[in-house]
Order: sequence, then structure tokens, then C-alpha cells
Amino acid sequence: MIKKLTCLTFSFGCLFAFAQEEQENQNKGILNIGVESNSQWYIDDNKISISEKDAIERFRSNSYIKADYFIDKWEFGVQVESYSPMALLNYSPELEKTDIGTIYARYNNTEIGLDATAGHFYEQFGSGLILRSWEDRQLGINNSIFGGRIGYEFVKGAKVTVLGGKQRIGMGFDLSESFISGANVEVNISEISNMENMDLNVGASFVGRYENLQDEYPELDKMTNMYSFRADASKGNFYAGAEYVYKSKDAIVEGTGGVQTIFEDKQYDGNALLINFGYSQRGLGIDVNLRRMENIGMFSERSLSGNTFNTGVVNYVPALTKQYDFALQNIYVYQVASSTSFYPLLKPGEIGGQFDLYYQFKRNSVIGGKYGTYLSVNGSFWNSLGYNDDLNIEEKQVSSGFFDFGRKYYNDLAVEVRKKHSDKWQSIFSVMGQYYNQKYIEDASGELKTYITAAEVIYKFGDAQSIRVIGQHLWADGDKKNWASGTLEYVPSLKWSFYIQDLYNYGNDKEESRVHFYNVGGAFTKGATRIGMSYGRQRGGMICVGGVCRWVPESSGLTLNISTNF
Amino acid sequence: MKKTIVIGLLFFCFFVDAQQSKFPNLTLKNLDGKDINISQYNNTDHPVIISFWATWCGPCINELSAIHNVYQDWQDESAVELVAVSIDDARTKKRVKPMVNGKGWEYEIVLDDNHDLKRTLNIINVPYTIVVYKGNVIYEHSNYTPGSEREMYKVIQSKIKK
Repeated sequence: MIKKLTCLTFSFGCLFAFAQEEQENQNKGILNIGVESNSQWYIDDNKISISEKDAIERFRSNSYIKADYFIDKWEFGVQVESYSPMALLNYSPELEKTDIGTIYARYNNTEIGLDATAGHFYEQFGSGLILRSWEDRQLGINNSIFGGRIGYEFVKGAKVTVLGGKQRIGMGFDLSESFISGANVEVNISEISNMENMDLNVGASFVGRYENLQDEYPELDKMTNMYSFRADASKGNFYAGAEYVYKSKDAIVEGTGGVQTIFEDKQYDGNALLINFGYSQRGLGIDVNLRRMENIGMFSERSLSGNTFNTGVVNYVPALTKQYDFALQNIYVYQVASSTSFYPLLKPGEIGGQFDLYYQFKRNSVIGGKYGTYLSVNGSFWNSLGYNDDLNIEEKQVSSGFFDFGRKYYNDLAVEVRKKHSDKWQSIFSVMGQYYNQKYIEDASGELKTYITAAEVIYKFGDAQSIRVIGQHLWADGDKKNWASGTLEYVPSLKWSFYIQDLYNYGNDKEESRVHFYNVGGAFTKGATRIGMSYGRQRGGMICVGGVCRWVPESSGLTLNISTNF
Repeated sequence: MKKTIVIGLLFFCFFVDAQQSKFPNLTLKNLDGKDINISQYNNTDHPVIISFWATWCGPCINELSAIHNVYQDWQDESAVELVAVSIDDARTKKRVKPMVNGKGWEYEIVLDDNHDLKRTLNIINVPYTIVVYKGNVIYEHSNYTPGSEREMYKVIQSKIKK
């Protein structure tokens, strides 16, 4: 029924838009269409093979076609997704066949400040710590909400948004059993009160989940609510911001072997505090982020809590570490569990911070040289919250003092220097040290220290030709031990590029696991179109985008990526 | 049934006149917290480069750094303006300001932290560059390889001379 209604709304909308365009020919509509297709043909070799379960389909493909039409104050869009014959390895099994992914109609009148959407929509309140719906195709995330949203700007600088709907947890019309409602207020105080020399923004949000499981779990409330309060200010070269989020009590959900179990007798509330401040001027930037969070994870169905595919996530709780550029820097990536759990290990929450420093050695100085030298330094430390050893369930409180630190999860420190030496030469050099508590981050065993160095040199010649060489090394005192890596990229023209890369786990204690993860590939780019093809081995592990990760198994084979828009 | 309607609609929409302008009515914040309506770049009398980037994207930083070295000369000659749209989400967004200042970039920086503009323009990967001039898209390119900024500028030069 819902499907039919949406389609009907959509078709009337499109017709209406078309009719309107006929009338006012000078106001032409805009049609944007995007196509993306990522395919893989998994071919086992003597070292790498995929599991028997995965091998039932060796050619897999994820494809997306999206069309949006903008006319006057109206906007209509649809995305069709195809996972055929099957989705790429380790995407959610709910993503299958060909169907509508998202469909919507929107009226956006900036003159009167009204913005209304029906259908699937993406939304973020504040930093997303209370609500973020977004799409990331690499991670297989599309947690758009299907329902309605209205935003109204009652004066310039003050906006209210209310929304409600069911979250997408599979293909476009596979929706969660719960109902999500939300409200958000953003006020730019400096704009309203004409503050000249200071910028001040404040915001507050509410997000509620209605999920009735009382037939099976009579102790569980139907409503679970979250509240957020935040403020950001900047004056001159200084800036600072803070956000506090509270979540009402909710059952602990433990997952083992892909099965999530709800414990209605263990209910805790949650909270998060995020603080950011910094200073920046031309040639210098300093930024500090601090976060404490306890049991703040929210999923549109309780039984989805902590699932490995990020299905049904309502809020965005990324690991706050730097997203590094080089391959070996991305083997041991910090991830964070947003909800408290007791099994197999007690994880009461997280506390810690990170900093960044950017500095430019001026042009024509000793270190700066002709073009300047750019230095960046970053570091992070993350621990578990301090916790009560004599934990008493009746107290409904896992952590001890609010700012107490517990077990160390992760820390890193990295220095990177970028320099252009001449018209032809430029280089990047990076060193990094890291502590990684594998037992707690991956629910595996052990802990390790690593040191990573990486150097990249680009040599330009001719009109638009270049060669890029990257060398990397990782020393680790545990797990798979040492890695070395080399990459060579050749760009013969603006349209073509070719590369060859090898990641070699030469230090592995198990001789049969000393595998070369090699890849050869090329890409053709013209205008908005890009076609990339590669053959080789994919290292098993985490693929992370924006602090959210997806696990992929080891595999080898042929990859084809096509994207275009018009 | 549902599929038929949607596919039909898609084809129907294909026949709507091809557009000249590219940017819909969409408001994003710049680094000072001010609203920037992207549709204002549909009709400018100087060329505008819209460059999508992120703090964690190596080639993006290479591209914006390469343009930074020649930006003053370009501006003097063609009055070109570069708008750098950061797609950093809340995790890395706070790095944008110190990085931009640390590198001394003088671009207009716009924050697309929940990817509204990126999605609207169907941009899959960064870096991605679009040049608009007097309501027309005169150049569009995904990815960056060293030297492609010179190619882009040649196109800009050829259009402004007309």
C-alpha cells in the first residue's frame, strides 16, 4: 500500500513539475542522473580462496542509478539499486536483487524558509551524535528514513526541523519495525542579534524510537528517547564547541555469532560529551577533540544493536582518530563500540581525545624552500571508562567517576611532512607509532605496538605525465608482525593512469601466511566518467570510511568500477 | 507495477530539455558559519571552479596545493574563483579549518558534511572538479593527476577569450 502511494505521489509530482515547466519556459528544470557499478569476479589462487558459502556466486555486482529532477521550488528523485546476481562479499544479505532504494518528493522554498520532504530522506542533527541518516555505498550503509520531514526557518538564522518515519534496513521498502521521530532547533545567535565580532551557534535536538516488544519483553519501554544540547562559538582566531547527548534507559544487547540477544533485566541509560576547541591563523592550525561516551548506541530495532553491517544505525558515533592516507597505516584501525556490553568482555564506554597541528614553514625560509614546507602532527589516546569492579546490577551504573580512565584501548602519534621541491618534484614523508589493544577492539586476543614509515615521491614531466612511487614499512610486535609495501603509478596522459602495488606480510610467524597482496590496475577518466579495472588480491580486514568500518574477507580476482553522471 | 512506473518516469524525465545550469537550490555553511546557496554559481560573470575534496584525500590536497601555487596569477588574469566543497563528515570536519589555514589556502570553503551536494550532483569519489562560467559547465573532471590543473585552466582561458 505504502509503495503504491509513493509511486502515485511521485508520478503526480513529476507530471506536475513537467506541466509547470511548460508554463514557464524561461525557468528550466535541472535533471541530474548518476550511474555507478562495482563488480567483482572472485578467482581463487594458490594462496587465497573465498569460503564455500561465498563461492556459490563468484561474479558479484552492486549497481546504482539515481535521477533527481529540480524544477522551480520542487525536487523529485529516485534511486534504483541492483545487487545482481548477488551483492559483493560481506554486504548485508538484505541487499539483494533489483529494487527501488530511495524515492522522494521535496518542496523547498528558500524565500519563505519552508522545506518539506515526503519519501526517503537523509538528515543529520548537529554532529550526528544523536541522529544521522546517510548513504555510503562502499560501506553498504543506507539508513535513510522513509516518512516526512518539514523544516521551517522562521527568521533568518533560526531553523526548526521535525521528522518522522521508519528507517530503511534493507532494500528501499524493507523498513524497520520501529517508528523514529525527531525534532531539531538551530539558532545562529550572532546572525539574529547582529553580533559583529563573534560567531555563536546553539542547537537542541530530540530523537525518539517507538518499538513495542512488550509481548515478549514486558519490562521494555515502548519509547526510547535521546536529547542533545550543543553550542559552537568562534572569535578571532579561536573557536570552541561542546555537545551533550542523553539517552534514556534501554536494554543491553549482546551479540555472538551474528545472533543478538536482548537482556530486559539489564537496562541502562547513556550519555556522551563531545568537546572541541582550536586556534588557527594563516600558516598555523591547532585542533583538539575530547569525547566521553557511555552506552550511547542507538539502532532502529533493539535486535540490530551492534550488528556487523551497520544496519539500522540511528546515530553516528565514529572512532575519533585521523583517517590516514597510506595502506599500511590502515591495517590496525581503531573502532569503537557505542553501546555498553558485558560479554565476552566488559566494555563500559570510551573516554579520550585527539589533537592536530598544522604548520607551514614559510616560502623562501631555510626549511620552507621556494614553495614552503607543510608539517602536520596528530595524535590520539582512547581508554575505556573507569568501571566499578564490584559491579552491582541494581545500581544501573557501570562506570565509576565521570572522568575516570580505565583500560587503554588505543593511541597513536604521527608526523607528516609535505614538500614541493621544484616544478617537477614533490614528496611526502610520514612516520607513525601506534598502540592497539586487539583483545578489546576486535574481541580477539593480544595487544601490539607498531611503527610505520611511508614515503611518496611524485615526478612530473612532459605536458601532464607523472610517476608516483610509494614505499611503506610496518613493524609490529604481535599479530601478523611486519609488512612492507611498494606502489608504482604511471600517468601517461590526463585520461589514463596505471598502477602496480604489493603489500607483503613478510614477517608473519606462520610461513604459509607470508602472502603478497599484489594488485595491478588502470583507470580511464574523461569528464564525469571514470572506469577502473584491477586484478589482484584484497587483504582481509576492515574497510573504513569516516570512522565507520565494514569487515571484508580475503579474496582475489578481477574488479571493475564504472561511474558517470550527466 | 512499481518498477514499470519508475522506469517509465525515468524515461519520461530524460526527454525534459537538457539543462544548462547545474546547481539546485541548496544551502550549505561556509567556514564562518554563513549560509552559501550553491545555485548562486549558476550564473556568474567570472569562471567558478567547484572542487570537491576531503582532509583525508591525498590527491585532493595535491590538487588544491597545486592550484594554490598559481592561484594569484590565475585570479589576476581571469578573475576565477575557487570554491572548495569539503565532504568531511562530523568525524573529520573539525580538521578542515586548521588545515585550510595551516596551508594558507584562500579559497571559499563550503562544508557538505552530510553529503547533500555530493549526492545531488551524483559525485562518487573525490577529488571531483566542475567549472561553471556564465551558466554553462565548461569543464568537469573526476580524479586528479599532476598537471590536470593546467589543462583545466587552458579551458578556462579559451572560454573567457570568446
